[in-house]
Amino acid sequence: MPGIKAFLHSLFFCCNLKKIIRRIDAFKLLTLPAVIFVFLLFAWMLGIYFYNALPAFIREGLAVYFENVWQAAEEAGKEYYGLASAIWGTLYTSLIAVTIALPISIAYSIFVVDYVPKKMKNILIIVSDMMAGLPTIIYGIWGAFILVPFLQKYVMTPLYKHLSFIPLFSSPPLTGYSYFSAGVLLGIMVTPFASAIIREAYQMIPFTYREAISSLGSTRYEATKVLLGYIKPAIFSGLILAFGRAVGETVAVSLVIGNTFNLSLGLFSPGYTISSLIANQFGNAFIYKHMLPVLYAGGLALFIIGLIINVAGLYLLKRWEENVRI
Amino acid sequence: MSGYKLRKGKEIFFILAISILTLAGILPLFHIIATVFINGLPVILEKGFIFTGTLGEGGIGPAIAGTFILVFLSSLIGLPIALLVGIYAYEYPDSKIGKATKTLLQIMLEFPTILVGVFAMSIIVIPMGTYSAFAGAFALAIILMPYVAVYTQEAMRQIPFTYREASFGLGLSRIKVIFKILVPLAKRGILTGVLIGMAKVAGETAPLLFTAGGLYQSYPSSIAKPVGAVPLLIYTLVQSPSKADHAMAWGASLVLLLIFLLIFIPVRLSLREVKL
Repeated sequence: MPGIKAFLHSLFFCCNLKKIIRRIDAFKLLTLPAVIFVFLLFAWMLGIYFYNALPAFIREGLAVYFENVWQAAEEAGKEYYGLASAIWGTLYTSLIAVTIALPISIAYSIFVVDYVPKKMKNILIIVSDMMAGLPTIIYGIWGAFILVPFLQKYVMTPLYKHLSFIPLFSSPPLTGYSYFSAGVLLGIMVTPFASAIIREAYQMIPFTYREAISSLGSTRYEATKVLLGYIKPAIFSGLILAFGRAVGETVAVSLVIGNTFNLSLGLFSPGYTISSLIANQFGNAFIYKHMLPVLYAGGLALFIIGLIINVAGLYLLKRWEENVRI
Repeated sequence: MSGYKLRKGKEIFFILAISILTLAGILPLFHIIATVFINGLPVILEKGFIFTGTLGEGGIGPAIAGTFILVFLSSLIGLPIALLVGIYAYEYPDSKIGKATKTLLQIMLEFPTILVGVFAMSIIVIPMGTYSAFAGAFALAIILMPYVAVYTQEAMRQIPFTYREASFGLGLSRIKVIFKILVPLAKRGILTGVLIGMAKVAGETAPLLFTAGGLYQSYPSSIAKPVGAVPLLIYTLVQSPSKADHAMAWGASLVLLLIFLLIFIPVRLSLREVKL
């Protein structure tokens, strides 16, 4: 190392070389490698998933994503795995979460921007930020010990008793660990992320619009209705990003979803998500011959779903922001 | 006038509805904090000093030590890279690489953390043949990076443009302008980012599942050996059927909540907006 230092030293004090170095730009020389490293890291990650998932694709083809079987056997020939139930669980619970986050985050944004005094507003924003940052395992322990029993007793059982002719409510809530519990917990967890985006957008609406609507003699409700139409794209991208968060959440979900291979529309039946499947099965996947590649294939699916959702959400948000600035 | 009354009625109903929904949205936080205190505090008070001992003695000392080691190590790995990347994204916001970097950082912010854990396992744990503190810290560093980088970039962007002009006007090279003048000006914002990133990784569980390994019966001795962490311990204890383990989990949750609040609240009070 001292050799390199002395070398650099002599470079900097040699006049001609100094000029050349300046043309290369020492700043870029220092920062660009870090940037390239991060890009490579990301590509490497994608590569690792693809490479390790390959045996699963070779053995089972794309059927690994579309079949709902999970046969772990001591004999390698009898092993067969399909990820359909986990993919379904991931999408289903995230959909429930977004359905819950939608009304709450919109109401929160309107309430914070339009109706509360400044001090209260700050408190509400801090609360929302805290919810966004709270360690997910704390949501998990609360979900498993408090939320699930509560939902089972006061929501699932009554709904099942009285409305079980509706397919959504037709499965008996035996333990309470279910798509529904996971969806509600995820809804609570991702609402702050959607809220932050929608609130910012709602705040960015040019004041002249508010004035114009008020001058027409509208009530606040009518004005809000019009203004919400204006930020529709931002609401949409906020929800997409919230969906992305819900898709990737692991430990909190795996503590409340019941971890059962199940493919059902019934809200109250237990299930699996891709991330909870990885969390649960990865540890013992090494015992079996063909399980590991399948889990990597699940990871790859999660990777790609996450990538598409986030890129789409970010793109929509950016496009909307650019339109508003002009 | 009935039309007016109807409109007024709708208005009242609307305000009522959004108030109730907002309340429903923030209520869980208070309920969570309250339940963690109610269930965790008696456990800690009852155990007293033992709670800082090993799991065998009825404490979570090694896990707390492990969390601090992991946060420290991951900062050591992640911070330099994150700062450089953030500074690059600030300096070239309109270049192709600069734009791509910003997008990549946003994607990494939202990225499923379990995937990072599995990645770290396949490139570090499997070749090394053992779980290790280093593997856990590497996974956490990947999660820490985007937070710090985004905050760094935002903090630098807040500096008035005249400072840039003045520094370049003195004939300083770009590297000197950035590192000697602009970075020190933005250090408060950057520090905020560092702390937010640390608070975030201190509470992460999923990236540690297959990397850190867990060590609760003795204190960690080497970064090449398994190490425990508070969130990881909670995850294990919650899944156990024993009631005593659940009590321990609540106690550990309170410790984790306190660590989070201790970092988060001062940071949050000292600035206006936080992105998580």
